Amino acid sequence: MAEEGWEPKIVAFCCNWCSYGGADTAGMGRFQQPASTRIIKVMCSGRIDPLHVFNAFLEGADAVLVTGCHIGDCHYVNGNEKTEVKYKFLEEMLQQLGLEPDRLHLNWISASEGERFANFITDVTAKVKELGPSPLKPEGVK
Amino acid sequence: MVNVGDMLVGYATDENVRKRGASGGLVTAVLAAALEKGLVENVVVMKHINEFEAVPIITNDVDEVLASTGSLHSVPVNLAKYAMGRKVAMPAKPCDAQAVIEQAKRGMIDLDNTYIVGLNCGGSMHPVTTKKMLVAMYDIDPEDVVGEDIEKGKLIFKTKNGEEKAIAIDELEEAGFGRRESCRFCTLKIPVNADLACGNWGVIGDLAGSATFCQVMNDKGVKLLENAIEAGRIEVEPASDKAIAIRAKVNDVMVNLGSTLEKEIFPDIPDKERMQYYMEQMEDCIDCGACKEVCPVCACGEDSKCTMFHSLVDNYKMSMYHLVRLLHLSDSCIACGQCSDVCPSDIPITLLQSRFAIPSQRKREYTPGMNVDDVPPFFEVILK
Repeated sequence: MAEEGWEPKIVAFCCNWCSYGGADTAGMGRFQQPASTRIIKVMCSGRIDPLHVFNAFLEGADAVLVTGCHIGDCHYVNGNEKTEVKYKFLEEMLQQLGLEPDRLHLNWISASEGERFANFITDVTAKVKELGPSPLKPEGVK
Repeated sequence: MVNVGDMLVGYATDENVRKRGASGGLVTAVLAAALEKGLVENVVVMKHINEFEAVPIITNDVDEVLASTGSLHSVPVNLAKYAMGRKVAMPAKPCDAQAVIEQAKRGMIDLDNTYIVGLNCGGSMHPVTTKKMLVAMYDIDPEDVVGEDIEKGKLIFKTKNGEEKAIAIDELEEAGFGRRESCRFCTLKIPVNADLACGNWGVIGDLAGSATFCQVMNDKGVKLLENAIEAGRIEVEPASDKAIAIRAKVNDVMVNLGSTLEKEIFPDIPDKERMQYYMEQMEDCIDCGACKEVCPVCACGEDSKCTMFHSLVDNYKMSMYHLVRLLHLSDSCIACGQCSDVCPSDIPITLLQSRFAIPSQRKREYTPGMNVDDVPPFFEVILK
């Protein structure tokens, strides 16, 4: 179990057009959320290669969030559909590997859904806090 | 006239070829005829090295084709490499054919120019394991072996001085020898994905041992057979209902055995212990990259994600190389077992990979390497 006062580190991949806007809106609307996320902005969620997710875990992330525009709203026509295909494989693979399902999430968040973004982060942080540090976290990384 | 779907029994007309071939020499004769008549420019055949080894060579010499041989120990190889940019015909085990078709899906070879003569396969034995087994179980010097056979579930070795020794395959496998691990849980025994599916199952009566059962799978199969008949190299006749039934029965028994063994080979590991299990299995990895080098479905080439983004410095808990490969092959792994064969650290990579690939493929009802028109699930999104 996690030590006292341990805060999870969560890497969130956000697409430039929707979910990053959502994170912005969450800030502007002053919705409270834990300071556990490190946001990485990408132009489209379709750019998020499983490789990036692996790297995040190997470098010490306790959870990884993949977020993008709602299906049908992609700025690049069908980038998020590609994300979905890759994500399904990734999800199955990491589960088989023995990583808890709560450590990897896919969520569609539009630029106006600030509250949804804040709630999502709050939920995931609470779940990961319960799980404790990721088994893939390297020694010596907090 | 030969039609798609025909079940035939045939043999080579040339007495020598017929006698030398494992069962009637039909495959050898078909390959030789294809070369002779210009249907193909090259043929891939197994060249006999010794009792335990045969290596694939590519040739345009009919005599070399006729002198070729099969071997129980010809473990799968990446046959697609031989087909690249050539017009070839090749004999292939079911898993070899799967690999060739997977490469065709990825645009590496042109299937229109590649003729695949499939061979029934009940499993192959690794030459090194076999030599060890001969000493440990049979008490025979590997150098003395002149022939071998499988009969009624028993593996028989014949020695120089005419002795024969038979041991049940189950017994050998229990002792850790016998077929390669990936062959034990394989459930594709008749190469229905090839152009012709040949083998000695279902050859009965007078013809037993001197004819080949042959199922025509597609138009290319028809071309191969008709070409060989025209060249006067083979003779075929329709198979009897009894022969067809016997062949199906042999196949059922083998497939059932494979399914049963699968449960034994892949015991469930609880969620919480899996990560530990994989880490322990892979901790001996020396990052040589041999498993990628031999992988017959990998079409990435030199600059692939698994090697380019993998750095030894970053291997904190698990290597990026393996993570990428486990994911990347989950839709296309055919469990041929070559990665386990070549691993210098003896990591059972095929078994690890199959734990990911089998559930993933079953869920999508997709079997790799069966039909070139089946789109791999990873390519699901196509821009409309």
